[in-house]
Amino acid sequence: MSMFSALEISGSALTAERQRAEVVAANMANAETTHTPTGGPYRRKEVVFASSGNRPFQMMLAGFHPTLSGNQPAVRVQRVVDDPTPSLMRYEPGHPDANKDGYVAYPNINPVQEMVDLMGAVRSYQLNASAITATKQMIQQSIELLK
Amino acid sequence: MNDLSTPMMNMMQKVLDVTVQRHKLVVANMANVDTPGYHTKDLDFRSELRRAAASDGDETPMLVARSVPGLLERPDGNNVSLDREGLLLAETQMQFGLAVQLLKGEFHSLLSAINGGGGQG
Repeated sequence: MSMFSALEISGSALTAERQRAEVVAANMANAETTHTPTGGPYRRKEVVFASSGNRPFQMMLAGFHPTLSGNQPAVRVQRVVDDPTPSLMRYEPGHPDANKDGYVAYPNINPVQEMVDLMGAVRSYQLNASAITATKQMIQQSIELLK
Repeated sequence: MNDLSTPMMNMMQKVLDVTVQRHKLVVANMANVDTPGYHTKDLDFRSELRRAAASDGDETPMLVARSVPGLLERPDGNNVSLDREGLLLAETQMQFGLAVQLLKGEFHSLLSAINGGGGQG
């Protein structure tokens, strides 16, 4: 029952959105990577967000009356998954990673798609940063009561 | 509750409690703006405040949060509307500020009475 848990929730969103932006940056940096430690070209990565307090089944058990306990739905990156779309094959017979037909597998990364994802992450980050500013002001106001 | 607290102070305490809970729900909705399957949650301020005011103790009773109906759901099952949450964030913020100012006024008049009406010395 304190305002500081509101800061924690917004903070979890900042962490999650920053991780999303980092994954996008990794995708763009590795747009031409044909060789990885696990072999094969770089695979495009995607983050999966999950809410830690959002459990629809339990909500249904409780008859759609979830009470506000300490269980606030903070957000976190549940996992980072590989994009299953196949690699792009380019004909480059001189390339060291070329197969026997002279084709090199390149990661299937679309810079436009990555930029859109990055902008989405940045905007969500800004949104939660402004929520933190609002919460901070409210805490400041209640501290002013002491004066 | 003690001899120094006025009905106004007790009411403002409840208002602040309910407003903070609502603010937390708005913040949680904003945090989950990109979470697949998340549904917007909110509480009914009027009925929750009435319930809180009806309870005698200093503790506000457990508040009830519900999923908000009638919002457009995106293909990933998320229905958080940024406009709605932004508006509500401003609303809870101002509501909180108002309650704090009213509470401050109560404390000042109490102090004034303690000082025999001679200002806030």
